[in-house]
Amino acid sequence: MANVLEVKELSKQYSKVLAADKVSFEIAEGEIFALIGPNGAGKTTTIRMISTLLTPTAGDALVAGHSIIKAPEKVRECITYLPDEAGAYKQMTGIKYLRFMAGLFTSDLDKLNSYVDRAKEICGLGDRLNDKIGSYSRGMIRKLLLARAVMTKPKLAILDEPTSGLDVLNAIEIRKMIKRLAAEEGMSFLLSSHNMLEIEFVSDRVGIISKGHLMVTGRPEELKARYEAPNLENVFERVVKENEVH
Amino acid sequence: MKFINLLKKELSELINKQMIFSLIFTIAIFFIMGNVMESATSEIVEEAKSNKLSICNMDDSDIVKEMIDSFKENGSEINLVTVEGDNYASAFKNHKKLKGFVVIPKGFGEAVEKGKKPEVYSVSKVQGAAAFSNMTSGPENTLSSVTLFVSQKLADQKGVSKEQLLTIEDPLTVTEHTVVADKSAQVSMGSIVTKLMMQNMVLPIIIVLLIMMTSQSLISSISNEKIDKTLETLLSTPVSRGSVITAKMLAAAIVALLNAGVMMVGFTSYTAGMMGSMTSDITSAIPQDAAESAKGALSGIMSSGEALKQLGLQLGAFDYVLIGVQLFITIMICLALSIILGALVNDSKSAQTMILPIVMMVMIPWMITMFTDVNSLPTAAKYVIYAIPFTHTFTAMSNLMFGNTTEFWLGLGYQIIVFAVVMFFALKLFKSDKILTISLNLGQKSKFKKSRKTTED
Repeated sequence: MANVLEVKELSKQYSKVLAADKVSFEIAEGEIFALIGPNGAGKTTTIRMISTLLTPTAGDALVAGHSIIKAPEKVRECITYLPDEAGAYKQMTGIKYLRFMAGLFTSDLDKLNSYVDRAKEICGLGDRLNDKIGSYSRGMIRKLLLARAVMTKPKLAILDEPTSGLDVLNAIEIRKMIKRLAAEEGMSFLLSSHNMLEIEFVSDRVGIISKGHLMVTGRPEELKARYEAPNLENVFERVVKENEVH
Repeated sequence: MKFINLLKKELSELINKQMIFSLIFTIAIFFIMGNVMESATSEIVEEAKSNKLSICNMDDSDIVKEMIDSFKENGSEINLVTVEGDNYASAFKNHKKLKGFVVIPKGFGEAVEKGKKPEVYSVSKVQGAAAFSNMTSGPENTLSSVTLFVSQKLADQKGVSKEQLLTIEDPLTVTEHTVVADKSAQVSMGSIVTKLMMQNMVLPIIIVLLIMMTSQSLISSISNEKIDKTLETLLSTPVSRGSVITAKMLAAAIVALLNAGVMMVGFTSYTAGMMGSMTSDITSAIPQDAAESAKGALSGIMSSGEALKQLGLQLGAFDYVLIGVQLFITIMICLALSIILGALVNDSKSAQTMILPIVMMVMIPWMITMFTDVNSLPTAAKYVIYAIPFTHTFTAMSNLMFGNTTEFWLGLGYQIIVFAVVMFFALKLFKSDKILTISLNLGQKSKFKKSRKTTED
């Protein structure tokens, strides 16, 4: 299967902090890859570099064959990014927001309408889409934003903490949606999450990142077997602690 | 198409119900203020026209009776005021509309008859602290009428004719000339200065309001996007950062233009209300000797615009185009500055204070140019003030009026350079990582580091 994302020794140095150090991994078509790590490990920095928001200090990443350094505008056509705790324009109605965001991806009206129809179906907000986003609950906003992130059928959807702020039932619904979109439509996902249960359920492969280093990557079962751990949480604990010792 | 989409979104954020309400409110306020001012000024005019004399007569002599009769003959309305003892305030209790009066004490008639200098008391009431509230005739009309009567009486006693007396009282025929640059006009300088002050008051207020409103809207727009992380979403879509920032600036400029138009209309109706009744019919209607004080106070405003034209102080169409260009550059500078300031914001609290540098950069030159000429300041202060780009916007109108074209062009050139430099840095900031990572927490170094760390997760 062809790789949608190839991350090659991606590094980011802030003035004093090395936020990402030679991070390398790849995501195949239709694959769900999760980056997990403690706070300040470099997850968001790595994700932001792949989303072309931050410029890497060294290394590169190819999204559908386009370099994030040489052709960031091409990369942005292939991805969507949902930041952690992101908001939406409160003065807009849900439907206007979807139309506005779709309009940034296409100038073709038919395409735009099909994107919006798809988002309407995915978010399941019904008539509430005609209300202003300012009146939405946190969960409703997250659903709207997730629908926005997948409505254009991007080659790679980058979701930072996709279910944060959602209740259990909504979170399960979102996880199922991600799995379905990957399996049926061949969309690839790069996720980041603190929720190990979620990661174990939803992702095909995970990468554990700590202090800017990508320590280990593999399928959840593989990692559990390798570290003789009953669940991913224990794997995570051991990997992070090992890194602290080193 | 994508740019239009962005622009529409920015405009819909700026032009909302609150904004439309505030525009209507602004026009309404100016309209009401204009009407209030009109009624206030017309009251002064009416008073000047009325020739009502207020006298408290304590002298029962024939001369006083003769004086009052002569006033009545000349068409004056006599208001006889009564006072309880020395308590002059008591007079105002009985006569609510009374603003002042003249007391003719006992012995007045006797003094006049003996050819001595008689004594009178002039009583005035302070109406309030506002500029217009004390701009009324008070006891002056009465006093000048009494003076005229007494001097005629004394002149009669000394055998001086009425004509001779007039010559003695007003021996010089003064024709005032005012010179501006190489032009001169037959007009008093005071009247020119008053008219200029009235005229030049409007534009600076519009500039100040416009800069504040425009900066605040762009700073909020950028900071809200940063705080809500909608900026991250926007910048990860297939639109260039240049078009994102251009759409924001253009939308803010369009709204600024709309505001400027509304404020111009509002201010025009306000000043028209204020000047209207004064400039209309007072010149012809003023009584000859009764309303000297009102005449003095209003003469400045009454002087014709013809003199301004003759002195080259009236701006032509091209001058207005130049002022428009300078106003545009000013708005562009404040927009470019707002991008940088908006980018520095990392919470809603700092978003409110971030406009402060722009407020200072506007208020200082506004206040200084309102009260003095920047060139008259000490050298160091002068250059500091001139270094503030907005100073040149405030001096533009007077530079064009007084023919200081070199200063005007130098100012405009400096502003264009400032705009280019600030815009260069604003674009550089917006196109770099810093738009997402930079923040300003003055005096909170540890907090700043903390916030940086969370973004580096």
